Amino acid sequence: MLTEALEDTPVNSGMQTDLPVIYIGMATCGLASGARGLLDLIKKEVEKRQLNVQIVPTGCIGMCHNEPLVDVKMPGKFRVSYKNVKPMTLTQIFESHFGKNDFAKKYAICQIPVEGSDPYEGLALMSDLPFFKGQVKIVTRRCGMIDPLSIEDYIAMDGYKALKKALTTMTPEEVVEQVTKSGLRGRGGGGFPTGLKWSLTQKSPGPEKYVVCNADEGDPGAFMDRSVLEGDPHAVLEGMIIAAYAVGGARKGYIYCRAEYPLAIRHLKKAIDDAKSRNFLGDKILGTDLSFDIEIKEGAGAYVCGEETALLASIMGERGMPWPKPPFPAQKGVWGKPSVINNVETLGNIGHIILNGGDWYASYGSEKTKGTKTFALTGSIKNSGLIEVPAGTPLREIIYSIGGGMVEKKIPFKAAQLGGPSGGCIPVDGLDTPVDFENVVAAGAIMGSGGIVVMDEAACIVDTAKFFLKFTQDESCGECTPCRVGSKIMLDILTRITEGKGQEGDLDELVRLSMYVKSNSLCGLGGAAPNPVLSTIRYFREEYEAHIRDKRCPGTVCNDLIKYVVIEEDCTTCGLCEPVCPSGSVTWEKGEVAHIDLTTCIRCKACVDACKFRAII
Amino acid sequence: MAEVKYAEVTYEDIEEICEEFSNREGAVVQILQKVQEKYGYVPADALEFVGEVLEIPKSKMYGVLTFYSQFYQEPRGKFVLKVCVGTACHVRGAGLLVDKIKEELHIEPGENTEDMLFTLEPVACLGSCALAPMAMVQGTAYGKLSADKMVSLIRQFEEEAEKEQEPV
Ligand SMILES: Cc1cc2nc3c(=O)[nH]c(=O)nc-3n(C[C@H](O)[C@H](O)[C@H](O)COP(=O)(O)O)c2cc1C
Ligand code: SF4
Ligand code: SF4
Ligand code: SF4
Ligand code: FES
Ligand code: FES
Repeated sequence: MLTEALEDTPVNSGMQTDLPVIYIGMATCGLASGARGLLDLIKKEVEKRQLNVQIVPTGCIGMCHNEPLVDVKMPGKFRVSYKNVKPMTLTQIFESHFGKNDFAKKYAICQIPVEGSDPYEGLALMSDLPFFKGQVKIVTRRCGMIDPLSIEDYIAMDGYKALKKALTTMTPEEVVEQVTKSGLRGRGGGGFPTGLKWSLTQKSPGPEKYVVCNADEGDPGAFMDRSVLEGDPHAVLEGMIIAAYAVGGARKGYIYCRAEYPLAIRHLKKAIDDAKSRNFLGDKILGTDLSFDIEIKEGAGAYVCGEETALLASIMGERGMPWPKPPFPAQKGVWGKPSVINNVETLGNIGHIILNGGDWYASYGSEKTKGTKTFALTGSIKNSGLIEVPAGTPLREIIYSIGGGMVEKKIPFKAAQLGGPSGGCIPVDGLDTPVDFENVVAAGAIMGSGGIVVMDEAACIVDTAKFFLKFTQDESCGECTPCRVGSKIMLDILTRITEGKGQEGDLDELVRLSMYVKSNSLCGLGGAAPNPVLSTIRYFREEYEAHIRDKRCPGTVCNDLIKYVVIEEDCTTCGLCEPVCPSGSVTWEKGEVAHIDLTTCIRCKACVDACKFRAII
Repeated sequence: MAEVKYAEVTYEDIEEICEEFSNREGAVVQILQKVQEKYGYVPADALEFVGEVLEIPKSKMYGVLTFYSQFYQEPRGKFVLKVCVGTACHVRGAGLLVDKIKEELHIEPGENTEDMLFTLEPVACLGSCALAPMAMVQGTAYGKLSADKMVSLIRQFEEEAEKEQEPV
């Protein structure tokens, strides 16, 4: 039965067919870029040309900024990737591959090697693109390569091999030992050693134990877990099943997934059904004594539920309020029983570690942070998307080599925000920081779960700090006063500053309050809430002072501090700005320099955009 | 046009929903999610009935309901415009989208239009930050939006609704 489940795979997946295959990115980014309409067009085109091809929807390959992505793999040839595909492009792609036996040079970005096949001439390999060069794909290895809804595809790329290895050739202790050796630390942000967590749960007494997957991914600006859940859901299941075995035979697992990820939930449901039908889940898994089932719990919109104890409370149908630790979940978790709770990415790494060994995983990364880390690269950056790099990769390499630098070439880098609402900003001087748990903390931010939001000089640092504080303030569960009230007072001060009503002493007061909130909050939400404020005061004190003393917003973001003026020398008296103003604040006469009345101006920026000569700033 | 329609809920309907769950105590959140799926919001009667079926005090039921921001106690518009105001979208101009909707539909965040066609709901992050600014309507994600594109989306939904109204 074991061999049957693994090797008797019917040939109906995109991985194993001899037919030409058309892949289309259908993860959330793909869908948001119009992949569904494109899929219909592909089907029509296939019908029109009476082609015998396989169409395979895939997950996130990481180049989300290039969506919609379509790949074509002809028999015996490498797989060619096309970016930003439009209906027009599509016809040409079909014509090239199916008419001329070539590829569409104009739209192709790269080719992906396929075993036993030949490359095309004159097209870069995917691994040679700057975006992929510095990357090492372990947990995202299958994302974008396989059909996430096909268990056959997963199996064809070594899926469930690790489970078989663990269950049939290793003891639970040996599994824990390999995970410990790998040096893997929790990818949900805390960085707690996974092997240690498992061994604590294993040693907790009692026969009834639980495995919980934290798929709440609440940090705004982060979508690493979403990409894995959508693109390779079985990897998360396999990690959980191995965990169930390692902690001494857990019978039940929960995946707590946020409701904002409907596609991820759909893919997980299908994956669970398919895994059950092949006995990777259910009773006596692969003929062993392990019986394990997984249930999905949907979140209901509370950020604090990402915190592990709050998450457990929510699973049990309660208000998602954190509880004081100890007891730790490893001792008392779901229904008061020992529970191991791990993040999606943590669990996604497990299969690879078991299959290749802990030492192999530990050979990547930096001294104290082993392996790789995924990051969601967003903001004012050219190549925004999902990347996976060895821990310790310098921030500069992530932003400039992989990320391709700023999206607006003329506006320089200002700061990178790492770690979301619990993190901080790293300025230009910190670009050489190796990105791992320890070094990022030393630089005043946290690696967190992996969101990197790049800001250019047009962004406002005070506004950003205010943004995060408003977020945590909204999401505070209200249990402790310092978190609830302290953050509110801090937010009021920041709001005042952005409105041009800042006072001397505000910064000292912010720092004082920060320390108070940090040290008197029960959970990590309050404990880290002041971080965005502290880190920005540390590196961008002048920008705060510009707001407070000069009533000026250098990034021209804070509406109340923006004063649009026409620069006389640059104004060509063309008059383009006058008609666009919705409030009639621009006066202009033929042959005269335009003038803006600031008392009526609503700061809509229309005149700035209308002026071709950049004469309004 | 359309009036605010409150749902009619019977005890039996709720019993039926609760029966789907074997471990009822832990399923309060899920049951409320099912209720909301059915009625579009959690009607006060429904909350009471769920409490009765599960034998959970009213105060506790209410506590759970109000803790989670995705439970609604009032009916909502046909099209809920979920505009992402997460970090990546914020730095790429999500605020302008929200302002445009406010201006266009005369509603504040959390409110419905009078004809019950639209609800404006700012959300934290939709996980497609690379395509910021983002919005999601009826489960469909829209990326790289601008104020103008938002307006044309709204028009599109209005047309859709009108078509449905027309007698066949
Ligand atoms: C306010 C708060 C929010 C959190 N949100 C998440 C989250 O969305 N996803 C996650 O995996 N961990 C989150 N965590 C971390 C979890 O508490 C916990 O450390 C993690 O799930 C453990 O798994 P790991 O060791 O595999 O990282 C959050 C922590 C805090 C304090
Ligand atoms: S620190 Fe804030 S979020 Fe955490 S338990 Fe206290 S009040 Fe709730
Ligand atoms: S559009 Fe620019 S150049 Fe033309 S009148 Fe206005 S400010 Fe002057
Ligand atoms: S910013 Fe807008 S309101 Fe102000 S002057 Fe320019 S166009 Fe008019
Ligand atoms: S979601 Fe499509 S490449 Fe990332
Ligand atoms: S911040 Fe808007 S989708 Fe993530």
